[in-house]
Amino acid sequence: MVRTLGWLTAVGLLVGLVMAFGVAPREVTQGNVQRIMYVHVPLILASYVAFGVLALASIVYLVRRDAAADRVAHASGEVGVLFVGLGIATGSIWGKPTWGTWWTWDARLTSVAILFVMYLGYLLLRGSIDDPERAARYSAVLGIVAALDIPLVHFSVYWWRTLHQPPSLMKPGGFTGSTSILWPLLVNLLAFMLLYAYFVARRVRVLRAEAEAAA
Amino acid sequence: MSWARRALAVAWKDLAVERRSKETLNALVFFSLLLLFVFQFTLGSDRERLAAVLPGVLWLGFVLSALLALGRTFLVEREHDCWEGLLLAPGDKSAIYLGKLVGNLALMLLVETLVLALFIVFFDIDLGRAMPGLLVVMLLGTLGLAAVGTLFAAMTANVRARELLFPVLLLPVQVPVLLATVKATEGLLLGEPLAAVAHWVKLLVAADTVYVIVSLLTFDVVLEG
Amino acid sequence: MIADNWGFVAAAYGLTALVLLLYWRRLAKRERELEALNQQPHAPRR
Repeated sequence: MVRTLGWLTAVGLLVGLVMAFGVAPREVTQGNVQRIMYVHVPLILASYVAFGVLALASIVYLVRRDAAADRVAHASGEVGVLFVGLGIATGSIWGKPTWGTWWTWDARLTSVAILFVMYLGYLLLRGSIDDPERAARYSAVLGIVAALDIPLVHFSVYWWRTLHQPPSLMKPGGFTGSTSILWPLLVNLLAFMLLYAYFVARRVRVLRAEAEAAA
Repeated sequence: MSWARRALAVAWKDLAVERRSKETLNALVFFSLLLLFVFQFTLGSDRERLAAVLPGVLWLGFVLSALLALGRTFLVEREHDCWEGLLLAPGDKSAIYLGKLVGNLALMLLVETLVLALFIVFFDIDLGRAMPGLLVVMLLGTLGLAAVGTLFAAMTANVRARELLFPVLLLPVQVPVLLATVKATEGLLLGEPLAAVAHWVKLLVAADTVYVIVSLLTFDVVLEG
Repeated sequence: MIADNWGFVAAAYGLTALVLLLYWRRLAKRERELEALNQQPHAPRR
């Protein structure tokens, strides 16, 4: 099952890569550097899915105290942090030649950076607790608090950047949505979602094996 | 004993302990004085620059003091081996949370008032019309910090690297509160009426509501063991 | 003609590929270790 998922993921990533360079056009205003979007956007969106799953799995764990839910939350958190970290890095690499700077405190970047630090904290909390049952409980509570905080973060940062302040620089995301850009993006989006699912499946398997080994 | 009376008993005990030992209070007062001196050395001479950064600097002082106070909120239970007592307490553990929250709020507001007074005196700031609005913002912001801070303090009380993990967990989650309080304070100090910063105040009210409710509901889970 | 900045493109794709590959290899390695561990008979509990 997981193996099939793995193969599907590999195929998806390969097709996505080919389309990002073969099908997608050379962008008018930015040149070929815009192709970074085909990894940057899927990474960020997949991380959002990861954190959403983490929140749901945390609730399920607190209600049913099912260790499987805890494993899904743990794995999802790990892959989510990995993806959002890579998303930030690729975004920064994209930003340097297009914006002239590695970083800017606009609403979106600031929100994503806060997300990264919050869920990194989630992983640090897990790492600091030896007792697996307590780690599961505490992480679930933190996961729920973090998820509820996300809309508050979004609004506060957005208001901070837009009220009494003119909208800042053009984001590298602007495009008219022609199909030759849309399809490579969608394919890569699907590929990275598959990759997320594949990584989580394997990480959960490792966690289950670790639990068995400790028993 | 009713839920509310249990909460009050916890708050009363914490404040009584604090009043006698004054450990946390002393630490916070000295810390605030230190902050004051550092800000004076770096910013005091330039009046304009000081006025521009004052809201941020003020809340930085409040937040750092809050980290100190909240980080110690379960110290007594830990040091004197009373943690099991907390776990074994009958009934709804959320009463303990409320008691701790009230105690922390009282302590934090006391220190914040002191810091504010020191700032007014030593930096010759005229608060004027901003005062009532500023008090509202201080109250709401402090409640936000204390609500999540008390929950996270319980969570990190018995883990490795507690002193480091607590602020690392708390600060990113508190960004909405930090942004709202600083921007609202900024507006108020510029002479704007409270209505002009209403959206920030509403955000604080929303945040505080979410934080207090979630903490009340999940505190039992944290004190399961 | 605008510069293409292929170096940046390579850096972004390369970094992504590298990090994902390393994570995948770490998962595989850990799986192998645990498989070996779990196949050994457990020590009697008491």
